[in-house]
Amino acid sequence: MFRKFDENENISSTNQIKSSVQRQIRAAVIEQMPEIESYLQEIWPKKENAKIIKCHDHIEILTVGNQTLFFKQRDSPWYPTLRLLHKYPFILPRQQVDRGAIKFVLSGANIMCPGLTSPGAKLNNDIGNNSVVAVHAEGKQTALAIGLMKLSPEDILKVNKGIGIETIHYLNDGLWHLKVSR
Amino acid sequence: MSTEEGDIAPEKPKQDEDEIKPEEMKPVSYPVKVLYCPECTLPLEYCEFMPEATLQRCRVWRDNNQYLLEQEGFDLEALNLEDTPGDKKRQKRGGRGNVKSKQKKEPDIVRIARIPRGKRKFVTRVTGLATFDINLKKASKQFSQKFSCGSSVSGDDEIIIQGDVTDDLIDLISETWNQIDEDHIEDLGEVKR
Repeated sequence: MFRKFDENENISSTNQIKSSVQRQIRAAVIEQMPEIESYLQEIWPKKENAKIIKCHDHIEILTVGNQTLFFKQRDSPWYPTLRLLHKYPFILPRQQVDRGAIKFVLSGANIMCPGLTSPGAKLNNDIGNNSVVAVHAEGKQTALAIGLMKLSPEDILKVNKGIGIETIHYLNDGLWHLKVSR
Repeated sequence: MSTEEGDIAPEKPKQDEDEIKPEEMKPVSYPVKVLYCPECTLPLEYCEFMPEATLQRCRVWRDNNQYLLEQEGFDLEALNLEDTPGDKKRQKRGGRGNVKSKQKKEPDIVRIARIPRGKRKFVTRVTGLATFDINLKKASKQFSQKFSCGSSVSGDDEIIIQGDVTDDLIDLISETWNQIDEDHIEDLGEVKR
């Protein structure tokens, strides 16, 4: 999504959001990531003004202060950004890929099933299809991507071919480098 | 070498020892502080996946900041950037898995020009400020307040200040932004529009 994302080209407007909309987004985020609730006040204080950066392709990025917190595309759920996820790693369920997959993920590739089923990887069987996951890597502590499950874990094991997790946001992509000025 | 999880998961042969499960980590307070490499902006453990040109800079930074890493309790061994002999050779050219290195823009020169308006009036044009990562909008606001005159961002990397403020501007720029040296500022003198 952010593979070719440029601050000057892809952003169409930045708006402060109404408090009623803020409330809606808060509720949506909590519903989607219940673990975040006790920390949300810290991440996104009520007093702080949140802004929505609207980008091309119907992408919206929510920023508070000079930090990007969440983003979404069209009617998708809100995804946390990697910088936020690094700070609060428990907000998303995790999947782990093997070491060989890292470099491909870092250049934006989707995650293929073999990378999730090989010995270095850990496939979490409790995560259903179409849920948002943090993609971790063998031997690393920080997440390297945020993805969306395209197959259920059983299918991943069974088929073992093709895309298992769609990469949405990864280290070193356009969103990672996005700088927000107040 | 000790395998912490050897007895927990005997069916899966563990390949690496430094694997840490979240529940085995020492109690952490949130937010977790993650140290990012200032060269490639990634968490330190991912530096090794950068292209050679960037990796070089990461190495240099690490050598210079070892005390900092030790302070933060990083295991320098685990973050080793050198190729281990057991590893498969990394593919050097082409292919999809190679992250292309982004060209880092060299900080440029700030150019100041005086442009005549009519017979005896001038505007001052400043270009090159954006290459130093300066917010042009804020800079122009500051100029207009300091010189009490109009100032506007008129292009991609261009500020026009109404009035001839060249001399004061050179002082002001080097004073406000430490990263800009006096040597980085070039006075073009009078330029035709």
